[in-house]
Amino acid sequence: MLPWLHVLSLSLSLAVPANTASTLLGVNPKLLARYAPDAAQKWTCLDRSKQIPWTAVNDDYCDCPDGSDEPGSSACSTGVFWCANDGHIGASIHSSRVNDGLCEYECCDGSDEASGACPNICKEVGEAYRNKVEAERKLRKTGSKIRSTYVAYAQKEKKRLEGVISAAEKDISEKEKEVARLKDIADRTEAISAEELERKKSSPLYITLLSQSTALKSLRREHEAAVARSKALEDILDSLRSNYNPNYQDMAVLEAVRSYEYQANLPHIGSAEAEANEEGSDEEDEEAKEDTKSSEIPEGEWSAEELEHQLDTLVHTDYVSLLVEHEKHIGADTDDPVYDITAYLPDSLIPQYEVLRTFLSTWLPKLGIIKAVVPGGGAADANKAREAYNAAERNLDQTKKDLDTAKEDLSDLFDVKGFGPQGEWKKLEGTCLSKDTGEYTYEVCLFDEARQKANHGGSTFSLGQVSNYFVFLKFSSWNTSPDATPGSPEYYSRQVYTQGTKCWNGPHRSVTVYLSCGTENTLNTIVELEKCEYQFIGTTPALCLPLDEAESKPRDEL
Amino acid sequence: MKVLGTSALTSTLVLLSILPQTLAVKAGDFRTCSQSGFCRRGRALASRAKEGIASWRSPYSVDPSTLSLSPEQSSFAAAVTSSLYPDVKFSLEVRLHEDGVARVRMDEVDGLKKRYDEAARWALVAEPQVSQDIKWTIGKTDARVAYGKGFELLVEFAPLRVVLRKGGKEQVVVNGRGLLHMEHFRQKAEEPAPVEPSEEGSDEQTVLKVENVRAWFEGESEDAYWEESFSGWTDSKPKGPESLSLDIDFPNHAHVYGIPQHATSLSLPTTTGEDPFFNDPYRLYNADVFEYVASATTSLYGSIPLMHAHSADSTVGVFHVVGSETWIDVAHSSAKSTETQWISESGILDLFILPGPTPADVFAQYARLTGTAPLPAHWALGYHQCRWNYVSTDDVRGVQKRFDEEDMPVDVFWLDIEYSEGHKYFMWDKKSFPDPVDMMNDVAAVGRKMVVIVDPHIKRSDDYPVYKLAQELDVLVKQKGGETDYDGWCWPGSSVWVDFFNPKSWAFWSSLFNPKQGSQWSWTDSTEDVYIWNDMNEPSVFNGPEITMPKDNVHYGGWEHRDIHNINGMILPNVTARGLVERGEIAKRPFVLTRSFFAGSQRYGAMWTGDNLGTWEHMAVGLKMTLANSIAGMPFTGSDVGGFFGNPEPEMLVRWYHVGAFAPFFRAHAHLDTKRREPYLLDEPYKGIVRDILRLRYSMLPIWYTAFRETSVTGLPIIRPHYVVFPNDPNGFALDDQYFIGSSGLLVKPVTRPDVTEETVYLPENQVYYDYFTNQAYRGAAKGKNIVVPAALHQIPLLIRGGSILPTRERPRRASSLMKNDPFTLRVALDNKSRARGELYLDDGVTFSHKDGQIVWREFVAEKEKKGKTVRLSSRDLAGANTATAVESVALATYDPQNSFARSIGGVRVEKIVVVGLISKPSSVSVEGGSQLQWEYVAGVAAGEKKEGVASVLTIKDPRVDVASDWAIVIKA
Repeated sequence: MLPWLHVLSLSLSLAVPANTASTLLGVNPKLLARYAPDAAQKWTCLDRSKQIPWTAVNDDYCDCPDGSDEPGSSACSTGVFWCANDGHIGASIHSSRVNDGLCEYECCDGSDEASGACPNICKEVGEAYRNKVEAERKLRKTGSKIRSTYVAYAQKEKKRLEGVISAAEKDISEKEKEVARLKDIADRTEAISAEELERKKSSPLYITLLSQSTALKSLRREHEAAVARSKALEDILDSLRSNYNPNYQDMAVLEAVRSYEYQANLPHIGSAEAEANEEGSDEEDEEAKEDTKSSEIPEGEWSAEELEHQLDTLVHTDYVSLLVEHEKHIGADTDDPVYDITAYLPDSLIPQYEVLRTFLSTWLPKLGIIKAVVPGGGAADANKAREAYNAAERNLDQTKKDLDTAKEDLSDLFDVKGFGPQGEWKKLEGTCLSKDTGEYTYEVCLFDEARQKANHGGSTFSLGQVSNYFVFLKFSSWNTSPDATPGSPEYYSRQVYTQGTKCWNGPHRSVTVYLSCGTENTLNTIVELEKCEYQFIGTTPALCLPLDEAESKPRDEL
Repeated sequence: MKVLGTSALTSTLVLLSILPQTLAVKAGDFRTCSQSGFCRRGRALASRAKEGIASWRSPYSVDPSTLSLSPEQSSFAAAVTSSLYPDVKFSLEVRLHEDGVARVRMDEVDGLKKRYDEAARWALVAEPQVSQDIKWTIGKTDARVAYGKGFELLVEFAPLRVVLRKGGKEQVVVNGRGLLHMEHFRQKAEEPAPVEPSEEGSDEQTVLKVENVRAWFEGESEDAYWEESFSGWTDSKPKGPESLSLDIDFPNHAHVYGIPQHATSLSLPTTTGEDPFFNDPYRLYNADVFEYVASATTSLYGSIPLMHAHSADSTVGVFHVVGSETWIDVAHSSAKSTETQWISESGILDLFILPGPTPADVFAQYARLTGTAPLPAHWALGYHQCRWNYVSTDDVRGVQKRFDEEDMPVDVFWLDIEYSEGHKYFMWDKKSFPDPVDMMNDVAAVGRKMVVIVDPHIKRSDDYPVYKLAQELDVLVKQKGGETDYDGWCWPGSSVWVDFFNPKSWAFWSSLFNPKQGSQWSWTDSTEDVYIWNDMNEPSVFNGPEITMPKDNVHYGGWEHRDIHNINGMILPNVTARGLVERGEIAKRPFVLTRSFFAGSQRYGAMWTGDNLGTWEHMAVGLKMTLANSIAGMPFTGSDVGGFFGNPEPEMLVRWYHVGAFAPFFRAHAHLDTKRREPYLLDEPYKGIVRDILRLRYSMLPIWYTAFRETSVTGLPIIRPHYVVFPNDPNGFALDDQYFIGSSGLLVKPVTRPDVTEETVYLPENQVYYDYFTNQAYRGAAKGKNIVVPAALHQIPLLIRGGSILPTRERPRRASSLMKNDPFTLRVALDNKSRARGELYLDDGVTFSHKDGQIVWREFVAEKEKKGKTVRLSSRDLAGANTATAVESVALATYDPQNSFARSIGGVRVEKIVVVGLISKPSSVSVEGGSQLQWEYVAGVAAGEKKEGVASVLTIKDPRVDVASDWAIVIKA
């Protein structure tokens, strides 16, 4: 791109090509046929807007509105100059580069400047170009071998998914039958026990339990909201502290930062102590904080971690089951083994048993053969039947879901907007590439999320994730440029990750990953050209197309 | 915001007074007059004078018995006494300079302390020469002197009153209203002063002392004499009260201009009197105002205490050289007069009265005092691409690549503060800028330059050589008491400031820019292609009062920061520029952009209007501010294209490029939080329009450079508002949205509103004006006339005044330095008598060889033969006949038209001549004494006709005449 030599002594008389020898200077070979005078020694501008004398072509004065009469000079502002570059590849340059005193690299034959001003370096340039092409070819060759393993992986994956699908389909039909059967049992068991259960439920113990549970859930909800709010506020303050822009010179902001630092026991950011201490003091502080926390817990109460764990269990308690358990516990010795018999029966006998059991449990007490048992036994039984049915149904749903996922994965696998026409990107799903830039380590896990991690303590920020909340949007992240059509190599040369953590006083963080063919999956450069908008530049073998494919495309120029 | 007053009237007034400020983002950061003790006292004095107007009499008078004339009799000195304090001694000196400028100096003599008297030393380019011819006549009650074209200067003794008259008419009256008050140094009374009054004002102070014989003048209370607080900051005021109030009236001038920098119209709106436009006086106190309001009297980054007063009869100027905070009230007691009051916190009275009587005279008089803007490097007139921040050496290369791919010309790439490691300027952040010298060389390879920021705050860090050196030299600003280095907070965090008032700091600072290793540490990671941007030199201190230094900080010589605050910003660009000149084997012209400035700053470089907003209002007011700077002697000026803050929509950005392309300094800049907006990122049609605008600017560089030569010699501004060009046309006195470029005859009115398709332009004379792009002829009228011109987004109202010849270079190039061998086009816009003239100035654009006569300065003239319709266009040398006024600051001993620069462009020709407004199709066009030329003629209206319509256009193809040679072309009817 860059001109490589200043022309020190430009002879101006040479800058004005006056004779016909140079009339064809700068003419693109494709247009050469049109640069000839008519019988009357006239010439028509290429856009046919004007007729001029043939002598006016390349006379260093712009006659044609389209600039076509001055292919060899800088006279027309819209012109294009052709350098033949014998020994290399011809090139077109803006006419603003012609006779400007600089030797253009693109014009290695030196024809853009007055004769003699620029040496012909096409031999060297051509050789360097050919070496570069060869090096690229080699890289591509090696890379494409790796890429072919990705393609093979996709094929294997395809087979695996097909296996998963057929197995799941079979599984589902069996499970559906099982669910129907369990539903039948549960329905019938419940018919018997529902009435009794209702009565139990009116016990003060159960009602109190229920309202305590409601209170617990509500408290937990409020607590979580409060924690989230406090965390969000802390994040804002943290982000404010590390990102606030001193250019605002806003004393209110400064005040906020300082108060926060005081509250959070942090050194003032940007201050000399802060920088000196940033690393060293952190650990000590952490320890100190831990100490104060644990020593403050009264005897018998739970620590934060225990609370977290226990609360979860408590909130998910099934109080109906508990009620039943409770009954069982109270009247443990009166428990009738009959009621547990289903557990020992083979599935095929259960329907018959159910009929028998209903008969017995209704009539035996009436006849005084056995003592009327606590109807809670009936409730417990109904509950178990319902649980069994629910579990079976959940299991079925899961299998159906697995099937759907497998089907979708299979269709994504060779989607041009997904893992590529050959599924070559499948192998890289979840592969994480990272780059340490000193202060931060940047990471992108392909098809998942990009992150910025502070190396010397501080928050990790999400820089953006593939928008995969809806499964069908999972691959909307390839090159969004309208010029890049799905399936083309340009399309796969960029991935976009958006909706990362919001910047203070700025947008949500986002990343565009620029990839090119390389033998390794790696990130080379991280740039933040605009605040919170990152560019990751790296390589991947997935973009190394096999040579025949790459070379079958015609190359027009450099 | 503040406690409202007790009565309905007061509260209304308070509301009114805070109204402009409430729009500002952080209005509370900066004082209003009522929050400033001395301003409050000054305004209270004025209101007492107004109330007691019948009996009001200034207490100051000259003691005639002490009067002594200087040997050449153009100056006199005398003692002045105040009836309030008969024991306090004041001195007065009145000098007349050779050019008729009068200097009035008054100081307290043998006081308890000394008033700051060095402001002129920084502002003036040299000690002015007093006249050898003009002689005072000393009478019993006055001293008077008559000189020049009907001028008379009168100094009345009791009370002291200074009057400049012209033809018997009062031009300037000093102390005519008796508001002169120089608060003498005094002892703090043992008894505590009365409780500090509310910040609302001092008018209604309760009477605490039983008898105060001075209360009629000074007020009852010692309002903020000894200590003053604002926004949590306390000013310890160790010297007590020392303010200076002064009334300067212009009984016969209805318009005043100048005293930049304020975001307001060129003709200054009133701040006091009946129904004032603003309620606070114009404030001069250099300040880093975040997101400043687009219409306010609030002080901004720079201060020039120069005011023009203008009427159809005459223009005069007053230049009050004071470096401390100053407030200026403006009122019109009648439609034809202006009254001003200048209230300064400290310093002596040092007033220059510039008699004019034309604007050009005032510019020349002011230029003789403070110097002119020297001719800048030619590349500095090109397009500057800036952003906070280009983030790496590769980023810079990438931006350059994109400009080149789009074939958009650009001369300079800028780096803001983030290039530096930890905001230690000069120290590259090697992670992102690993190869700065290579980067500079890559930029320079295409004939371009870089500008890198170096701010005056210095990070307190022992691994920073600049800090270590400054500390060892002991050249840092001290905190109050004068012992300890002042520590403030700026970009790098804890920082110190070099005290550039200390001469020891100069060589140290200048040497830092040496790219070669010398005896002192210097910036060896740089090249001679890098130039400097000095920002934050108000100085900006994030945790200081009003975002600057405490007033009781101590500078070299023991002066308080309050004394020198407004001067502070000018020395940094001065010593920076010196470093740039001295760093190479061959001295090259420096380029330094400064944000803060004072009278005289024009000698050191360019300025810009600071951190503007991306809004239409800021675009419009920015243009007015550049005009105000231009007429106040600071001609190399511009505002950030696009607006520093915000993301302008494409339409606004395009219009802003038009504004920028027609400003002397043309730079696009953007805040860190903004989206990238380099012109190549625009979509069509915007991108193409901006490319055309950039190319238009480059094609006109010969016109701009020629205008810069003129300003460097005469002090006439580069962009000229109407009152400067047509001083006798009252219709133009308040015009500040259209202006002329140098003496070229170009009249431009950038569009600064959205959704515009046509624009009204005012034509001030009976002359034809041509549309630059279409050659449409518009007819003006002797009484002035408004015309309507097309102004769609791709169009800028740009007219050529009939009678002008414009030299342009029409070949697009990547950078201006690549145009130096390109041929010229001459555009001859005939006036209604078929005449035209124009100038072209060229030199190497880089070195100081122009001062040795290595220049080409041509005049082009088109004249109609006395009889007949033949038009003769000729080119002749101007330098030889005007050796004294060819280049700035020196008179050329001789001029050799064959000088080596002229020879170096010997082959540069005129490739095209366009003659607009010929009466009829020529019969022949030929070089005089030479060959017939090829030409085309498109019929149209003639220059002298009354008809409107597209003018006739004669295009002469490649006459093959050299631009630096004498020649003539004859256009026969």
